[in-house]
Amino acid sequence: MSSKPNLDTGGSFTHPLYQTLERLPGVSLGLASLDDLLAWGLTNSLWVFPMATSCCGIELMAAAASRIDLDRMGTIVRATPRQADVMVVAGTITVKMAPRVLKLWEQMPEPKWCIAMGSCAISGDFYRNLYSVIPGIDTVIPVDVYVPGCPPNPEALMHGLLRLQEKVQAIRRGEKVVRDPNPELIAITKPSVPRVCERDRDGDLSREQADQALRVTADQMCSPIDVPYAATTPQKPVFAPDFAGLLTELGIADAPAEGPPCVPVARHYELTRRLKDLGYRQLVSIVASHWPAGLGRKGKDEAEPEHFEVTYLLRTVGKGSRVATWTVRLVVDETIPTIVPLFAGADWQEREQYDLVGVRFEGHPDLRRLMMAENWVGHPLRRDYPIDTPCAPWR
Amino acid sequence: MNVVLTALVTSLAILVGVLTVTAWGIWFERKFSARLQSRLGPTMVGPVGLAQPLADLMKLLQKEDLVPEAADRAVFNLAPQIAALCALGAAAVVPFSAHIVGAKIDLGVLYLLAIGAVTVLPVFMAGWASNNKFALLGGMRALAQSLSYEVPLVLSAMVPVILAGSMDVSKIVEYQAAGSWIAIGPVWLGLPAFVLFLLAMLAESNRIPFDIPEAESELVAGITTEYSGMKFALFYLGEYVHTLVASAVAAALFLGGWDGPFAPGLHWMVLKTLALFTFVYWVRWSLLRFRSDQLMKMCWYWLVPISVALLLGAGAWVVL
Repeated sequence: MSSKPNLDTGGSFTHPLYQTLERLPGVSLGLASLDDLLAWGLTNSLWVFPMATSCCGIELMAAAASRIDLDRMGTIVRATPRQADVMVVAGTITVKMAPRVLKLWEQMPEPKWCIAMGSCAISGDFYRNLYSVIPGIDTVIPVDVYVPGCPPNPEALMHGLLRLQEKVQAIRRGEKVVRDPNPELIAITKPSVPRVCERDRDGDLSREQADQALRVTADQMCSPIDVPYAATTPQKPVFAPDFAGLLTELGIADAPAEGPPCVPVARHYELTRRLKDLGYRQLVSIVASHWPAGLGRKGKDEAEPEHFEVTYLLRTVGKGSRVATWTVRLVVDETIPTIVPLFAGADWQEREQYDLVGVRFEGHPDLRRLMMAENWVGHPLRRDYPIDTPCAPWR
Repeated sequence: MNVVLTALVTSLAILVGVLTVTAWGIWFERKFSARLQSRLGPTMVGPVGLAQPLADLMKLLQKEDLVPEAADRAVFNLAPQIAALCALGAAAVVPFSAHIVGAKIDLGVLYLLAIGAVTVLPVFMAGWASNNKFALLGGMRALAQSLSYEVPLVLSAMVPVILAGSMDVSKIVEYQAAGSWIAIGPVWLGLPAFVLFLLAMLAESNRIPFDIPEAESELVAGITTEYSGMKFALFYLGEYVHTLVASAVAAALFLGGWDGPFAPGLHWMVLKTLALFTFVYWVRWSLLRFRSDQLMKMCWYWLVPISVALLLGAGAWVVL
């Protein structure tokens, strides 16, 4: 099942019986017309598997709907990869999604083709330097036709399918199909990782050539942008009376000039419980941030050790809603008690903060990664996370 | 010898006819559904897209024949063949005119109902052998649905049998030709039976609004999830042939079959069959699908009691 016909040499057509048959008078004529018929069938019935992850998927749907109507050329959308011929990758593919896309691609029966639709699928576009996004689907599976655009309009997708028909016809005739070289475009969109190349699809490129031509050098890599700390006028926050009263009662007077009050880790759980009793029954968010040594709220500060700040936001439900927000400051190895027993909704929020920032919640029932792949190394939203060496599985 | 030859020629003609009509029935459905959605449907492949089924067939012939590693290979491979076979087998006893019948057997209706019931088997075989949760769920749903709807289907098909006093489909058509069509025979009896038969037929052939075994939004592609290439094509073909033959049966049992003025019988039979075939697609592309429990409730709370009442009514009508 895994062996696929080699289109260059004719594959299984080298069998001696076949060769003898072919030499009989008249047979080659019949075979040629039969081959034409088969190629005609192959090009005029391209069934699409929609690998749609984001906004390009909407355009893909529009292409199948009225006004554009891909069914005019016999293209229909199949829900299962087993019955599809063309995988249209429409949208940003994340590191976690990429293995799934590859799996679906491998489940499609040969002969099969791939169309990368939209700039995210082609190169990652402006997400390409993000830790969680792969720089183009052609780093994972071979792509036959690129349909540029953000997103491309449905007509462009149809044009892509028509170009794919030409390509399929040309391959069946035994012609080599070469990409149109556009040096300016290559300079702009020079990818930082080698693309998947198959001899069937890009006959003139060897793997080494593709590697050399398309790899970005260190001096071409852009450095992280240094954004200066923007000074703002301090504003004394005004708290709801019951929240302010509770803070005084618990002896938490450590309110900075701006931003939410700082609550010691030891009083955090008690404060949350008391607030819930006061009617703050909705947990809006838990947001953690990471501060490397020498960086504090006021900008560069040599006295600051490496620490986390976890900010909580609760609100009352109903008319005249009041909010309560506070920050818990943790040194790097410190843990913070979970509030899952009070708010069931804190479960995934705490997992998310653990996953992305690395804050450990003590007593959490199921502290696993939530967003990143299970085997991910490091916590990508920490400020010391290396932006230029993402730990993507295929690199 | 002569008899054998006649039977052979007739059956071959029916087989080729049914397959051809089915292939272009698929084309017709694509055009028809496109018009309902203000699209055009196939236009580029051949004149008005008429060569589209041929292109699809040529493409499917060339696709890799995948069998999942964990699948039950023998059952997996057998299921699509049985599906196509059962659907085509039902065409044998349908009288396309007074003379064009594949097999004139006395228990024609019984044979039709039996072979209709067997079509559940390949569906469940495919669901089980694929070793795929979506396929299995689809197979289970199809089984439950078909077994339930078998009851009103059989009971409503018994109404023409009782009225005509025969299980031979040709005899039933002759009875209608002599008197009136059963759908309007005694209209209080025939019309509800016809509607019930149509509903149960839609459910039997897993068409919308009863297509929960292959609901795309829940089950990927239902039982055909793991099927590629020609095996999928056989399933696809079986489904359409089943719809076509079921339409023909409904036309023969309730709408007078080949009976009609001015034109030879075959014309009328084909016209009635295609009208019902179109009706099935019309329903398919206009309605939403039921939920599984609604489907069962409708069958056992409404269709079965009504069909029993109709059966008793038919008995009373004949006796009195």
